[in-house]
Amino acid sequence: MVDFTFTEEQEMIRESVRDFARKKIEPIALKMEETHKIPDDVIEGMAEMGLIAPTVSSKYGGQDFDPVTAGIIAEELSRADPTGSIPVFYLVQASWGHVFNKYGTEEAKKEILPNVTKGKWFLGIATTESDAGSDVLGTKTTIQKVGDKYVVNGEKMYISGVREAYTRGGGHVTIAKQFPEKGAKGMTLFYLPLQSKGIIPQYVDDLGREGISTGGFTIDNVEIPSHYIIGQEGKGFYIVHEGYEYARGLIAVICAAAGLKSLERGENYLKQRKAFGMPLAKFEGLQFKLAEHYTKLSYLRWGAYNALWTYHQEILGKASRFEVSKAIAMSKMFAQEWACEAIDDVMQWQGAFGYTRECVDQVAWRAVRSFGWAEGAKEIMKVIVSRELLGKDYTAYK
Amino acid sequence: MKILVLVKQVPDTTDVKFNENGVMIREGLQSILNMFDQFALEEALRIREMYGGEVSVMTLAPEQAKTAMQKCLALGADKAYHISDRAFGGSDTLATSYALSLAVQKTGPYDIIFAGNQATDGDTGHIGPQVAEWMKIPHTSYVERVEKIENGTITVKSLLEDGYRMIEMKLPALVACIPPPNFEYSNPSMSGIIKAKNKPYIWMKADDIDGDKSKFGLNGSPTRVVKMYPPPKRERGQIFTGDYSESVRKIIEHLKEKKVIE
Ligand SMILES: Cc1cc2nc3c(=O)[nH]c(=O)nc-3n(C[C@H](O)[C@H](O)[C@H](O)COP(=O)(O)OP(=O)(O)OC[C@H]3O[C@@H](n4cnc5c(N)ncnc54)[C@H](O)[C@@H]3O)c2cc1C
Repeated sequence: MVDFTFTEEQEMIRESVRDFARKKIEPIALKMEETHKIPDDVIEGMAEMGLIAPTVSSKYGGQDFDPVTAGIIAEELSRADPTGSIPVFYLVQASWGHVFNKYGTEEAKKEILPNVTKGKWFLGIATTESDAGSDVLGTKTTIQKVGDKYVVNGEKMYISGVREAYTRGGGHVTIAKQFPEKGAKGMTLFYLPLQSKGIIPQYVDDLGREGISTGGFTIDNVEIPSHYIIGQEGKGFYIVHEGYEYARGLIAVICAAAGLKSLERGENYLKQRKAFGMPLAKFEGLQFKLAEHYTKLSYLRWGAYNALWTYHQEILGKASRFEVSKAIAMSKMFAQEWACEAIDDVMQWQGAFGYTRECVDQVAWRAVRSFGWAEGAKEIMKVIVSRELLGKDYTAYK
Repeated sequence: MKILVLVKQVPDTTDVKFNENGVMIREGLQSILNMFDQFALEEALRIREMYGGEVSVMTLAPEQAKTAMQKCLALGADKAYHISDRAFGGSDTLATSYALSLAVQKTGPYDIIFAGNQATDGDTGHIGPQVAEWMKIPHTSYVERVEKIENGTITVKSLLEDGYRMIEMKLPALVACIPPPNFEYSNPSMSGIIKAKNKPYIWMKADDIDGDKSKFGLNGSPTRVVKMYPPPKRERGQIFTGDYSESVRKIIEHLKEKKVIE
């Protein structure tokens, strides 16, 4: 039997988050375009509500939330913040909190996760480098075991939350090559505190999501203790995909929500604005666009929840990783495009005003556009689905 | 300290529409916890924080009201009593308060009973005071804050048209609460919502409360609603545009014309 309803508890979570976001996030959202910062009291409020990395076990201050419930929170945050900053702040920590919680050592979890869930520290992900993004095996950063410690060297680039972790505390789940000759089996995942000696941050000037930083850092002989290894040595390449997939599912929900919210603004505009003696909403040429975008984004939304549900089934041992990879990749494949197309039309409906910085929808467009790359480029989603359909024998590369 | 909060689920009336007969269109309206009651609950939880004890919530309402009750539990109440029975159908405020007062006595005794000053749908402000009157205990309405509890008394700050008064009452007592201006309502936290599921939720029927059954429901309700109509729509005011002093002059002229001023 198929049941597309959320549980009573999930509905209550949605209502509570929506109300919180309406009161605390909506009023400050656009200000982040200038302040380049999520206000501290919003982060504190989110932590009090239990909205930071709720996927983490309650033992470390999380909520033990499953992926669908985590998606509900992502959706509500996305509806309230057109800059996309708070949704990104949320999704990165929810996804990588899940991975940390699953594969981190007890010692590291006790030390780090409570600070994350309390909103004091930021937990990010650092795989991309200036010369390697989609091709994770092209990673040049290295990690070497020296005595009972590890030493890391290299650089990471286009990483979300660098300033947040560098100034507030925290760090990034990071991937590096430990055994270069072993290819995919030679990569190790670990926690890299950004306040470590030997880290020098730098920042990029993004088009959007202004409230959260994107940047990079050089890693010069940074020492980390052995309990910061996540999973086992040489397992990094496999584990990292579990985090990406979590994040991609949340991103698909976030894109759908941003697009649908923009359409709501668009609907109001169409009803109010008159041309040729009648509201724009009466022109079928525009109505059909609305209907099409709404339909696509609703499919996207349910596709995303289905993907997150599949992820949950895998956690429960009822679905395979492959099923998850496929469902998740399908959900993210068109997420950015469909949402951006819808938002672009909403901008178009608003005439010349749509091309001003005052128009909220251009803010949303700039935010959503980032998801064409972040946590896995849309082309790579097609690579994954094709691989799942045709089998590994037909992939051009490993 | 044993505390009870009386609560009600109401339609979200922030954007109500009426049909041509003046009856509220209920379709499409969300049901929410009456905001006055949420304030009362938050005040009760603050008192529990200060003096310790247990906070229960109680409603007399159809089953759907469970969502509002769950919200109370998620906000921190310890226990819920939900009285639901066909026998209470058609109750006016008198019959409702009678049944509630019986349930309060059955599940009590309590030191303090909190209620919202009014519900945003009926807006009568009857329930709190009537429950207290049935129980013959002291009560105060328009309470913005419980100031202190000591030596078996409670001191409350109650709103008047032109100020406040401090009232001291002997416990047990009932306080009907009204949120101060700009009160910031809490949102249930994620852990609150999860914990709510495992808190005691007690269903009660008419048979579970002792009392005079003839005073229940429609039979016990002397109130008859004769007619309902929305207040007449006010016409849009006249707007004077243009230069500031010129507009002021025009307004004065206009008011003189209408004999509002001389
Ligand atoms: C705002 C923002 C925030 C980000 N935050 C993070 C972060 O926190 N942590 C992190 O590690 N990374 C982050 N990234 C980086 C992101 O993960 C990468 O941009 C992404 O993986 C693509 O890598 P790349 O940019 O190096 O592009 P490349 O891998 O060089 O790809 C370039 C283009 O070629 C396409 N392409 C590549 N391979 C194939 C193929 N086999 N078939 C078809 N097309 C292909 C890609 O899809 C893309 O369009 C962020 C990116 C952005 C824009």
